[in-house]
Amino acid sequence: MSTVQNVEPFGDGFIAALCPELIIFAGLLALIIIPNIGKGTFRIPGTQTRVMWLFGGERFKITSNPKMPAWIATITLGAAFVQTILSFQDGVDRTAIVTESGTQLLLVNGFSRVFEMIFFGALTLAAFASMNRLEVKGIGPKLSTDDLYNNRRQADFYILMLTCGLGMSVVALAQDLFVLFIGLELASFSTYVLVAFYKESKVGTEAGMKYFIVGSVASGVGLYGLSMLYLWAGSLQFDVLAAQFVINGTDPLPLIGIGFVLVGFGFKVSAAPFHFAAPDAYAGASSPVAGILATASKAMGIIGLIRMLLIVASPEASEDGTVWLTLLGIISLVTMTWGNIAALGSTNPKRMLAYSSVAHAGYMLAAITAIGAWNWDDSLAGEPGEAAVAVLTAVIFHLVVLVAFKLGAFLVLSVLESDGDASRLSSLGGLAKREPFLAVAMFIFMISLAGVPPLAGFVSKLLVIMGIVKVAIGQMGAEIMAGGDYGLADVHWVWWLALAMVINSAISMFYYLRVGVVMFFEEPEEGRTGPLPAGWQVRFAILACLMATLFMGVASDQLLEICEVAAKSLNYSWN
Amino acid sequence: MILLAFVSNGNARMRARLVGPVRMACLVFSLLMLVLTTGMFFRYFGDVTWMDIGFNEYEFEHKYTWVESLGINWAVGLDALSFPMVWLTTFLLPVTIIATWNEKHGATYFPLLLMMGGALIGVFVSLDLFMFYVFWELTLIPMFFLILKWGGKDRKYASQKFFIYTFTASVVMLLGLITLYFLQDPYSLASSGTMTGRSFSIPELIDNARANNIGDNWYLGAQMQKILFVMLMIGFLVKLPAVPFHTWLPDAHVQAPTGGSMLLAGVMLKMGAYGMFRLPISLFPHALYHFQLALMIIGMVSLVWGAIVCLGQTNLKKMVAYSSVSHMGVILIGIATMQPMGWAAALFMMFAHGIISPMLFAVCGAFKHHYHSMEIGAMRGMAKHSPWLATSMMFAWMASLGLPLLAGFVAEIMMLIALWKMISVDGWSIWWMVGPALVLALTAAYYLWSMQRTIFEGGEDTQPPASMKGHAIPDISNSEKFAMLILALFTIIFGVLPWIALDMMDDWTIQAFEGLIIPLLKGGA
Repeated sequence: MSTVQNVEPFGDGFIAALCPELIIFAGLLALIIIPNIGKGTFRIPGTQTRVMWLFGGERFKITSNPKMPAWIATITLGAAFVQTILSFQDGVDRTAIVTESGTQLLLVNGFSRVFEMIFFGALTLAAFASMNRLEVKGIGPKLSTDDLYNNRRQADFYILMLTCGLGMSVVALAQDLFVLFIGLELASFSTYVLVAFYKESKVGTEAGMKYFIVGSVASGVGLYGLSMLYLWAGSLQFDVLAAQFVINGTDPLPLIGIGFVLVGFGFKVSAAPFHFAAPDAYAGASSPVAGILATASKAMGIIGLIRMLLIVASPEASEDGTVWLTLLGIISLVTMTWGNIAALGSTNPKRMLAYSSVAHAGYMLAAITAIGAWNWDDSLAGEPGEAAVAVLTAVIFHLVVLVAFKLGAFLVLSVLESDGDASRLSSLGGLAKREPFLAVAMFIFMISLAGVPPLAGFVSKLLVIMGIVKVAIGQMGAEIMAGGDYGLADVHWVWWLALAMVINSAISMFYYLRVGVVMFFEEPEEGRTGPLPAGWQVRFAILACLMATLFMGVASDQLLEICEVAAKSLNYSWN
Repeated sequence: MILLAFVSNGNARMRARLVGPVRMACLVFSLLMLVLTTGMFFRYFGDVTWMDIGFNEYEFEHKYTWVESLGINWAVGLDALSFPMVWLTTFLLPVTIIATWNEKHGATYFPLLLMMGGALIGVFVSLDLFMFYVFWELTLIPMFFLILKWGGKDRKYASQKFFIYTFTASVVMLLGLITLYFLQDPYSLASSGTMTGRSFSIPELIDNARANNIGDNWYLGAQMQKILFVMLMIGFLVKLPAVPFHTWLPDAHVQAPTGGSMLLAGVMLKMGAYGMFRLPISLFPHALYHFQLALMIIGMVSLVWGAIVCLGQTNLKKMVAYSSVSHMGVILIGIATMQPMGWAAALFMMFAHGIISPMLFAVCGAFKHHYHSMEIGAMRGMAKHSPWLATSMMFAWMASLGLPLLAGFVAEIMMLIALWKMISVDGWSIWWMVGPALVLALTAAYYLWSMQRTIFEGGEDTQPPASMKGHAIPDISNSEKFAMLILALFTIIFGVLPWIALDMMDDWTIQAFEGLIIPLLKGGA
């Protein structure tokens, strides 16, 4: 395997390595500057000469166009996304950004690239679709103050989207818990405000507030955990912490510390005891933003969990590293069951999707538990990392395709929101008659979420179950061939998590199908007839999601390879 | 397979607005497929002798790599087990289209039927576990919509119940399949995945299992074999459906449109039995022996319970649906006898019931269509008012109750012989004969009784039912007549000349017995 290439900040290869982030950064600057460009002049002190310096004053027609920020953000995010995809083409290189003393800060490899792909892909689609959501009240001097505010808001919204993307990609790149935390907070704060941005509805502000308070408590607890880890190891570098864990990982201090950190990330992925804010936040936010929370933000939390549990408290290193295993298994079981049962009872499609997102978090936690279970029995264990790679590939694949159908579902709701609201199941009524394309797309997203073949959701769920079963069975096949007789009692208990997963999938079928029934066979609500008013952008984004859902379902081979590369690049000893 | 390409192409092209051309195109496509499969049988396409295919050998095999890292292939092929089912599907499609020629919203209805047919064929031809599962689930979606859009009053309840029952069962099956997948010895099979080292290929798995199921040696060990057998059987028993899991069927049938019912009863139920033969039985014959008694009991209970419930039905379609449950019990008993004759009986029952039950449901559909009611007492004296419908109803009823010289009789008599053989050779109790004997009487009773109440009673002075609202009573339309005639014709053909299909089934069962069961009995030889 190629070795890591060290690059100092702004040294050789820096731009190539961090190209997507730099694009985002440039876009951010552009977004701040461009709407301010106008006919402003500057009087040289002591003279009467006025020099055009283009800032302030009456804005030009182009720069004051309220649609401008949306386009800048979309193009920026899209460019970053394309750049990430391109980097896969000729093999992902490994580049570490190091400090002068040689400590790794950021590491660019397959793992970070694939997550950048998720973040930028989701944000591009959401930004593009948001063009139809934030109202633009025209251009020109005759606007009222409110309208001007409204137009001004455009820039703020998209700036937040870009900072969100930047923070998320820092999380993916971080090699140090502190850097990771900074990225996490940058992204989190952006999302808090994005949730509250939906001020047309009263619940938006409330949801933002709630999300912010609970989120900051969770972050605070996480930070406390970080400080404990620092106290214990004297460093927050992943490799230092991992090395320490091999030696004395069973000390109470690091275990408590990890517990606290897990609370922080558990909130981000909306795992069971920390998920209460999620349904409120999703329901209160405008749908594209809720879509970001359910896809990109959740992927960010999963990175945190993977880093903490696999790299830091690496179960491959010691038997004792699996101390969190039972707890995680229970959390995952509770999360998936709770999410599904709560979703059964919710009549608000956004809350339903939020709870389904909780359930999906449970599935992913089950997968992560399975990785931790790898060392359960020496006689049955195989190559180190073999199972971890299988499960991680599944988790990453799931996160990638989740963008397609989860965000897609939220975007369909977004179209409905522009027609009034989408907070009742009956708002979807008669969608098939009003807009057949949207209804079909929504139905496909729903059954993909439920895991019906041949859609992307099925492949991802299948992979996760396969990963878990693989870990649970280990080398039992070979043992049986050698004449052994094993039953379910000999299989590791994570197998039962797989069973819980399939049963939960069956439960989830109820509420996903209900959406289909309402769309196709119920009449629209009073006064809501005819096609929906939203523009072409959001439809285009939905179409892209739909194509991805179908395509990844039948032709998953290439993406699977990318995910495998990503999983392997997480730990060099796995290659 | 080429057929599948046909179907998907057909679907894509058929999104036109007009009902007429769409309907015509669907018919033409389904007829083309029928010609193709029939041609295969008569060796016009591909020179295949269907009689001499060994167990676990396939004709028309095609294999393309799908997902290399996981060992998933697009593998299709036909053998004497799947070919009759494929032919049945292609035969029923055009018949269904003709029988329900005037269904509303035809522009989506007929393509859905065709899609359904495509998925069903996919299940039967696939030789890869992954592909098998994908098609298995894919059949649910068109059926769900058929029930939901064209169904009766409680269609929402029925379609969701149908979907959730079968989906739950099949995810359990999926977990079983995955567990099986990882229990393989890594890299032992030719098409193992590059990443996982295991294979989804059905033929290779079966070969591997056969090599290890010798004498007292259980493939994958005794405990695992039993567990996997149960997990897979859950999926197939619910689909079949056998008694504790059967409640989705009557609901689905009563609410489904005629065309949906015809395909559901004709082919979709057979997926369960087909799956049993293809996977658990072929892979885990030891476990089959172990659970023989359990299967026998489930089969008997299905048989008797289905028949008893039929007696109490006032709804014509529900009665027919429960009679399906009863007939599926015959298949289970046939399997559980562990006699070649019994297996052949099960296979022929699949085939015969696949022709007869669509006719039953076509009659029910016509009844509903013309009298706007499903109640048995609603219309009396049909023989006077609608002689065509009365005749076809009588014929279908007779075929289903097992009149000699009709297809159903052959399967039932074979099952009885196999059962008798089991009692005399393997020393089972003679009381096992009571169930089938009782059911013969019960079946005759409920069919004759319902006929008496609808066809013959009344007569000259019968008034049309209230649901007719005073309109004149019409007889069935020409397209319905045509469909009934074809179905009746084939019921007679396969009743008088059963060997057309039976020979190849017999051949398969004998080969399967030599391949599967004999090595177990012979011991370590």
